[in-house]
This record gives sequence, C-alpha cells and structure tokens, in this order.
Amino acid sequence: MAGQISISHDRPMIQALGDSALVVRFGNRLDDVANRRAVAFARAAQQAKMGGVIEVVPSLVSVLVRYDSSSTRFADIAGEIRLIVHGLGQDSEGREHLVRVRFDGADLAEVCETLALSRERFAARHNEAPLRVLATGFAPGFIYCGFHGEGMVVPRRSAVRPVVPAGAVLFAAGQTAIAATDIPTGWHVIGRSDLRNFELGASPPTAVRAGDTIRFETW
Amino acid sequence: MAARIRIDRSGPITSVQDSGRFGQLELGISASGPMDRVAFGEAGPLAGDGAGAGIEFSMLGIAFSVLEGEVSVGWAGGQFAVAVNETAQAWPGNGLLRAGDQLTILPGPAGNYGYVRFAGELDIAPVLGSRATNLRARIGGLGGRVLEAGDEIGILGNGAVPLVDDVAEVVEGPIRFIWGLHAEIFSDAVRQMFVTERFRVTSMMDRMGVRLRDEAGVFGTAGILSLVSDPVVCGDIQVLGDGTPIVLGRDHQPTGGYPRIGTVISADLDRFFQLRPNSEVAFAPVRLEHAQALLRGGTV
Repeated sequence: MAGQISISHDRPMIQALGDSALVVRFGNRLDDVANRRAVAFARAAQQAKMGGVIEVVPSLVSVLVRYDSSSTRFADIAGEIRLIVHGLGQDSEGREHLVRVRFDGADLAEVCETLALSRERFAARHNEAPLRVLATGFAPGFIYCGFHGEGMVVPRRSAVRPVVPAGAVLFAAGQTAIAATDIPTGWHVIGRSDLRNFELGASPPTAVRAGDTIRFETW
Repeated sequence: MAARIRIDRSGPITSVQDSGRFGQLELGISASGPMDRVAFGEAGPLAGDGAGAGIEFSMLGIAFSVLEGEVSVGWAGGQFAVAVNETAQAWPGNGLLRAGDQLTILPGPAGNYGYVRFAGELDIAPVLGSRATNLRARIGGLGGRVLEAGDEIGILGNGAVPLVDDVAEVVEGPIRFIWGLHAEIFSDAVRQMFVTERFRVTSMMDRMGVRLRDEAGVFGTAGILSLVSDPVVCGDIQVLGDGTPIVLGRDHQPTGGYPRIGTVISADLDRFFQLRPNSEVAFAPVRLEHAQALLRGGTV
C-alpha cells in the first residue's frame, strides 16, 4: 500500500511520472502540514528556475515538475529538488481575498441536517475562520479551501451532478471549493459566490493561487 | 489574407490544434495539442510551412471548400481517403487549392486522427499563447469548441514551397510504459497480468482519454479506494473503481484521484491514440532511461 511507504514532510518522495515529469510528494494523505510544504516547495522551485525545468505545479500534497528530458536527467533534477527542500523556510505569505457567499445551494438543507445545524448556524460556522487555498488546477480557476473545524465535515455525495455553474460554492471533506467554470461535481452545493476565478481577459486569468487566504462573508 | 475556407462537413471531435498550450496547469488547463504529434508534424512541411495551427479531424474525416484566395494544404495522419474536387490524391500528400476547390477526406483503413495544415497561420486569436482547442476547458480554436459545418476560417500569409520530409517510421509492438505513481498499490499478481494479458481499445475515446476493455479481468471489480488527488500527465493509465483502465489524452484533467499503474512513454503516445476501437493492445514496461533515450533520438 502507498500508505506504508515512508514519507516525511522534510524528506519528500520523488517519483518519475512518465518520461518527462516527476512528482515530489510530501504525504499520502491530505493534511495541513503536507499541503503547506507542497505549496512552499512549489513556490521556491518556481523561483529557483532550475535548468531544464519547464513547469512546476503545486497540487494538494504533491508537486509536479515537468522537465525537458532531451537535455536533463531525472537524477540531476532530483538532486536540485532535495537542495531546495532542505532550504525551505516558513510558508511564503499568500494574498488575502474576501469572498461573499449566498447560502442557497441545492444541497444546503441536507448538509445542515447531517451536521445538525440551522442554516444560520451553518453559515456562521462556515465563515468564522479564514481558510487557506489548498490547491488549484482541478479545472480552470477551481480552488479547494481548508480546513473547516470538527463538526463541519461531511462526505462527498454518492451521485455526481453533471453541471454546476461558475461561482458555485461546494462543500465536502472538511473543505469548501469554488467552481470558476461550469463543471460536474460530486460535492454538495451549498451556495454561490461572487468569485469568478477565471477571466481570460485578465493577466493572469486567475486571481487566487494556492497558499492564499480566503475570508468568507455572507452575501 | 491568403485564403478563406468553409467547413462543409466535419466529424464529432474535429478541432483546431497547434503544438499545445504548455505551462498553464496551475490555472487548471492541460496543454492540448495534436493527439498524434508526429502526424501533425508531417502535415506542416507538406503544406509548405511547418509552423501554423491546423485542423485535427477524427475517423469520419472532413470536407472543406476554399471560398477565396489560394492556399497550399498538406494532409497526414492515419490512413484516410482524400480527394480534391473528386480527384483522388495520395495519403499523406499535399495540393494547391484555389477558390471554389473542395477537399474531401473520407474514412480510411487506419487511424483515429488526421491533420490538415496550411501554408500560413490560421486567422484565430491565440488564447494564453496558443490556438489549440481545449475541449475540457472550452478555450482556444473557435470558441473552445469542435468545428462544425458552416464554420469559416481565414488563413494568413502565403507560406512557402512544400517540403517533403522523411515519413516517420511506424513502430509496431506493445505500447511501452513506465511504472506509475501508484504501481505499488497494485499486487504483484495484478502487475504481472497487466504486462502479460491483452486489453482492447473501446469506442469510448476522445481527446480526454481512451477507455480500455479488460477482457482478462486483470483489475477485477474490486474497487481500489480513490487517493488524494495528484498531478496527472498525458499517457497516465488510471484504473477506475470498477476496474476500467483509461489512458489519459492531450485534454486530460490536470489532477486526479484514481490510482495510476503506469504512464505510456512519449514515443508511443501517438501510435496508441491512433489505435482504433476493438484493436488489441499489450503493454510492456521500460525503464525511464530507455524512454528518455528514445526521446533523444537514440536507439536502445
């Protein structure tokens, strides 16, 4: 089982992903420390501009490094990666964003019932602390934010909704996610937000990045 | 403007493609680009200009007319039947088309994807640096969508004299892969069967992925729990909870939580994506160094 492979937050596992990319993994489960390390490493690696590296992309607990395999060897990049990990300091400071949410989603009643909270109480608990943006990239501009405290955790839905609109606020697994384009989802739809994190005319087209902080306010 | 064409007929997943929109995965956008990069690369010099975007069409072919101007056109990829004004032409091949001419490409004996490219650049604004259509993110090409009958596209510049390149050698044999991110969560017996049994390509294929039929029951139906999402690349062989293997395509999702037993090597992606439904496919593991030597043009 992957869970038996020992990975520590200070000694990530470096695995080939095909012949032109590798993955630097800081954990096998989603937790706050592994996520913070992955995002911090990705930002450091993006700034380091390693030779032969084409793209560095943070994910929830791992980081994709695409490289030019015609000029660069896996072992050389892995060595440089270990040096960057060794020198990692505190989290880089992300930006803070305010997102306004209208709690009127199709699954809100069910979520409130599962958590035994009134709608008002759910909204208050949802908004009470700022969340970190854990990852982007599942779909254009899509963001995962976490983590909510105990008593605010529900599993995903068993059925997938074929489409939710841009701005939809989704809830599952102790996280809130916000769609930036029309997408299918197995998460609970709890409302809609004023965030549109994918504007092709803007540069960059997404304003919110992994490692940023989001404060929620009822709209 | 050198020319303007109008699509008269198009198959289900016909789209504008260039070499791809790399570097945007953090935004949630995979690179797209031609499913068969080698064939796309062959069509360019046949048109006289290897640089511009072109049209990727699927198994049913395409037909278009030149409305105005004249343009040199190159075609390649798979094995299709092609005619200019009902006069059969060679495949792959090229021709100079003038206003009123119609190019008709009909299904042929092999391949899922073919390409037409032009001497010049398509008059389409790039999105995030590329004209490639990403059907998942719905950007690039014509409004991020497939091409339809009636669409008109301008072609800028007058291009150069067609060049005929060496046609790439077609490699036969098993599809080669590197053991994947999650290979260890599959038992030794499953991994052994994965490389000894055969799979079958199904008709459930598009630019996002190709579903395989696991006739030997290699993966059974014992669902492996989904994992924390990790980065995904084109060629990843992911196994769904019901045991269905899917090879991810150029418009793949940027991240995914299904276990991936392996990743098809870059050198074999083009021919894999050209395998038609019902084709038998075998997978053979290679070492990373071997796959990279192939990319450097060496033989191992």
